[in-house]
Amino acid sequence: MATFERGQPTDPLEAELDRLFAAYREACPDPEPSLDFMPRLWERIEAQRSWTREWRRLTEVLVGAAVALSLMLGIVLARREPPVSFYTNTYVEVLAANYSQDAPLDPEVLLADQEVSR
Amino acid sequence: MLVDFELVKRAREGDHAAFTQLVQAYRKRILGTIARLIGRPEDVEDVGQEVFLRLHFSLDQLRSEEVFEPWLYRLTVNAAYDYLRRQKRRGETRMADLSEQQVILADAAAGSRAQQEEQRRRQLREAVQALLANVSEQDRILLVLKEIEGLSLKELEKIYRVNENALKVRLFRARQRVLKALAAQGTAARAKGSS
Repeated sequence: MATFERGQPTDPLEAELDRLFAAYREACPDPEPSLDFMPRLWERIEAQRSWTREWRRLTEVLVGAAVALSLMLGIVLARREPPVSFYTNTYVEVLAANYSQDAPLDPEVLLADQEVSR
Repeated sequence: MLVDFELVKRAREGDHAAFTQLVQAYRKRILGTIARLIGRPEDVEDVGQEVFLRLHFSLDQLRSEEVFEPWLYRLTVNAAYDYLRRQKRRGETRMADLSEQQVILADAAAGSRAQQEEQRRRQLREAVQALLANVSEQDRILLVLKEIEGLSLKELEKIYRVNENALKVRLFRARQRVLKALAAQGTAARAKGSS
């Protein structure tokens, strides 16, 4: 690898490139920063900061509004009347409750029973 | 390091005066690096401002004060890369792209010795930039940092967070491409001279 840990390049083209790079380095010295470099930088920092602040404020407002809306909806849903009837018992349980031994028998059913026994 | 770790620590903690001192210590060096990376003196300050702006808003992510310089160089490389990509998208005309007649006219406009010297420098800058245009923006930046800025492979490894061998291969290939372009230029010049 000609580029690394090399001494004097033997290839004239390599030497030419090295010479060009060195001359380029010399032709581009470190420029003096302008007098308003720092004030301009602080201006840009402040501008960016205020933009970030605005964005954060907007986000906070939106998040606050979303939380308030959720709470409101929660309260409204909680206050609504529950449905009139709920069938929580199974069919067998309802049947057993209707024809329990304590319940009075239907007179028509009793008459029909007597007819049969006669 | 151009500054002590204590100053970096104070700047990291939000001390404005410390940040100002930090910028003042590094700005000339960073502007010089940017000038050689982008090759356009008129845009150097803008890119430099972008570097320090990014530094200000990312200082709190710095792991330790010891890695401050590679960190700053990484920000510089990224800002220069963004600039070069923007330029490529815009497809702006550079002096190297102008016709020979236009360059002769520009030369004639430069009368005095100082102007001639500036003209010579400008032509040299344009020539090297034209050579570097033969590699990608990433390789061009890497090549400038190594060959012109004189950064060591160890320093580049810290900046790029890439294995030294990978960097060597990449640098070698980039240099070969530039050498090929230089050879082609020489051939073209000789052909022109003989005709």
